[in-house]
Amino acid sequence: MIFSTLEHILTHISFSVVSIVISIHLITLLVNEIVGLYDSSEKGMIITFFCITGLLVTRWIFSSHLPFSDLYESLIFLSWGFSIFHMLPCLQNHLSTIIAPSVLFTQGFATSGLLTKIHQSTILVPALQSHWLMMHVSMMILSYAALLCGSLLSVAILVITVREVIQIVGKSNNLYFLNELFSFAEIKYINLNERNNVLQKTSFFSYRNYYKSQFIQQLDRWGYRIISLGFIFLTIGILSGAVWANEAWGSYWNWDPKETWAFITWTIFAIYLHTRKKKKLEGVNSSMVASMGFFIIWICYFGINLLGIGLHSYGSFISN
Amino acid sequence: MIPLNSSNPCLSNTHFLKVPIFDPFFKFKTFSFNTHIPSNGHHALSFRINSKLKSSQDIQKNKGNNGVSQKIILSEVSPPPLTEVDGDINGGTGNENENVPLKSKNKGSVSGLARMLSKRTLQILSNLPLAIGEMFTIAALMALGTFIDQGEAPDHYFQQYPEDRPVLGFFTWRWVLALGFDHMYSSPVFLGMLALLGASLMACTYTTQIPLVKVSRRWSFLHSAEAIRKQEFSESLPRASIQDVGTILMGAGYEVFLKGPCLYAFQGLAGRLAPIGVHIALLLIMAGGTLSAVGSFKGSVTVPQGLNFVAGDVLSPTGFLSSPTEDFNTEVHVNRFYMDYYDSGEVSQFHTDLSLLDIDGKEVMRKTISVNDPLRYGSITIYQTDWSISALQILKNNEGPYNLAMAPLQINGDKKLYGTFVPVGDINSPDVKGISMLARDLQSIVIYDTEGKFAGVRRPNSKLPININGIEIVIVDAIGSSGLDLKTDPGVPIVYAGFGALMLTTCISYLSHSQIWALQDGTTVIIGGKTNRAKMEFPEEMNHLLDKVPEIIQPSLSQQADCISG
Repeated sequence: MIFSTLEHILTHISFSVVSIVISIHLITLLVNEIVGLYDSSEKGMIITFFCITGLLVTRWIFSSHLPFSDLYESLIFLSWGFSIFHMLPCLQNHLSTIIAPSVLFTQGFATSGLLTKIHQSTILVPALQSHWLMMHVSMMILSYAALLCGSLLSVAILVITVREVIQIVGKSNNLYFLNELFSFAEIKYINLNERNNVLQKTSFFSYRNYYKSQFIQQLDRWGYRIISLGFIFLTIGILSGAVWANEAWGSYWNWDPKETWAFITWTIFAIYLHTRKKKKLEGVNSSMVASMGFFIIWICYFGINLLGIGLHSYGSFISN
Repeated sequence: MIPLNSSNPCLSNTHFLKVPIFDPFFKFKTFSFNTHIPSNGHHALSFRINSKLKSSQDIQKNKGNNGVSQKIILSEVSPPPLTEVDGDINGGTGNENENVPLKSKNKGSVSGLARMLSKRTLQILSNLPLAIGEMFTIAALMALGTFIDQGEAPDHYFQQYPEDRPVLGFFTWRWVLALGFDHMYSSPVFLGMLALLGASLMACTYTTQIPLVKVSRRWSFLHSAEAIRKQEFSESLPRASIQDVGTILMGAGYEVFLKGPCLYAFQGLAGRLAPIGVHIALLLIMAGGTLSAVGSFKGSVTVPQGLNFVAGDVLSPTGFLSSPTEDFNTEVHVNRFYMDYYDSGEVSQFHTDLSLLDIDGKEVMRKTISVNDPLRYGSITIYQTDWSISALQILKNNEGPYNLAMAPLQINGDKKLYGTFVPVGDINSPDVKGISMLARDLQSIVIYDTEGKFAGVRRPNSKLPININGIEIVIVDAIGSSGLDLKTDPGVPIVYAGFGALMLTTCISYLSHSQIWALQDGTTVIIGGKTNRAKMEFPEEMNHLLDKVPEIIQPSLSQQADCISG
């Protein structure tokens, strides 16, 4: 009983702290930067981090196994991973603004009424009783967290550049607006293929746009860095899962839906890493691949569980 | 940047700048410079000669430029063959290449044609957009495989994808069955794509990555200030000495090469080379997977406690390379099957105590297996995968014990239900009545009387009798049977080797390969550098390092350096 109370307190603290942090971020984005506020948001994230850590440790002690056994626990762990990645590039204040809401959303979703049924920590089914559980699940969820962060940055690039296209189109002569909308967008798209080109072009427009292009470049490079890190985790996660499967199910690869989707995710991010190799495909194209990866991770993480098929049934919404 | 081919996607452009010697490697001219060399099917040979010729030319050129051979300090590593390159040398080599095909066209022969074809194939296969397309296709096919139910009878697909209501307007069961999407992961389309991707991997490794190793192993100096300033990061330090820069870079973990006024330093070369390892590891996994698919044996069996079976009887081959070993004569005896339970009554673990007997009946191994803890004997692995209840041992009015076979009533998922029936009265009458006994696990048996009413629950081994309709029943034991999977898989060691290599090389790939050039120009040191991954951190790190470079008050040192270089 004391554990569940403690758990409740911790979830509520972390959740409310994150919401405050996000509102601070929004304020600093809208109003000019207030240093004191920004510092407090950093502290807030650290508090959240410790709260979630405490939550996980509590559950660990309470259930006497690592808290990775069901969806709720994996979500909490995911938001823990997010908070780590939030603190990682903490020098770049705008980047953390993009990551902070994801902590909130995962936390909010985990604690929402939708999942109340599975809040109670459950027993481990025989197949999960293995030392591989820790390695496999922690690596997978860390990789989800990293890849989601990275691809969110890519989504942000897409959003910003799309707005840019619209802005530029808007600035062009109003008379030709409709006529040129299509052709201009096309030309712009071709230009976008080469980011450098864009940077040169946009720097023409205004002083503000120069910062914007700098910002896009920052987003791009951080996105690449974080996705590469997530890719390592994903590789280790999938492979340790394969080794585990060879111990538990008798085959290292079963084409189980969850496995398959993890492999699809891996392939998509492998494509992302390869698009970075070619200058021509860098920038918008690679961010499109990464944004695709963003959705695929969610399919892999939730979609398959929603369908409730395959051997990875432990994380499903409906307890059978 | 330079007149580069676009056919070598994996290669970063900048390397060409520095080492144009390898230009012909990447150019993929349809005819080689040395077609008169007897063809032995080894493309690399002619290339190598080609490049050798050129490198000697270059060296001569450079000798003209630099004159005296210069000493390398600050480095104890014996350097690989030196290449000294001026920024503008590329133009010259480019022209030479233009002339090459003209000369060899006259000698075009069958071997030349074959070589051209294979080169063209390599060129196409190592094309990055193609590889990306292949990966996308494979991802899409896999996704499709999770949406279409796999391994069902054709009737299922007739109903699921009827012709009169096609999915998305065109997708009917004809597509599913014709393309083999009912067994996606072994369909020719999917396996073909995987094979194509494997071929692309090999082609890319051979044509671009391996040459890259050779390029990367050389280190090159930049002699002109403009070339250094063109780098992604560049900075000029007034009143500094290049030796100090070198020392500081060495302190930061860089390999530093210093020659006269020029400095070249690099770090994290492994990060540039590891992607080759990634590709090789992937090929290894593919090879292992193929071997697993064609050379393994699989089988599953449900054995009641106390019985035995011969391993070879259960195992059936999966492919044409499967060949049985003598381990297949081993007899497996199930000594005991039991479950562990949580306090709440749920199953925590299944255990089977197995004995392996060789052909003479001698016990060679004994082990209690459980889920996640299989038994390995020779090439055979035995897994605990399933269970059921085979029989109930009862005493009826102190007679017996009788063995009642248990029938599975519900076998979906983990919630199994087994039942049996003890007839009461006349067995031959049309509506025979009796006592029903149901069990979900080996822990407790639920007993119903002849009317179907709940009578009680008994645990096996409790010896507590239950009296139903005047019949006294004692449940002596519940006999479980163990579901075992048997497997031999010759591909596992290869696949595991691939796994290990893949994990390691992906991690190493995260390292960033940074290169730094510096040039002493009077009292000023011009520093330029680039990195392939950590583009955000690199300028910061560089600024941090360069802050440490001491400012020289008396300019004598740098003048000395100038004298040496002059």
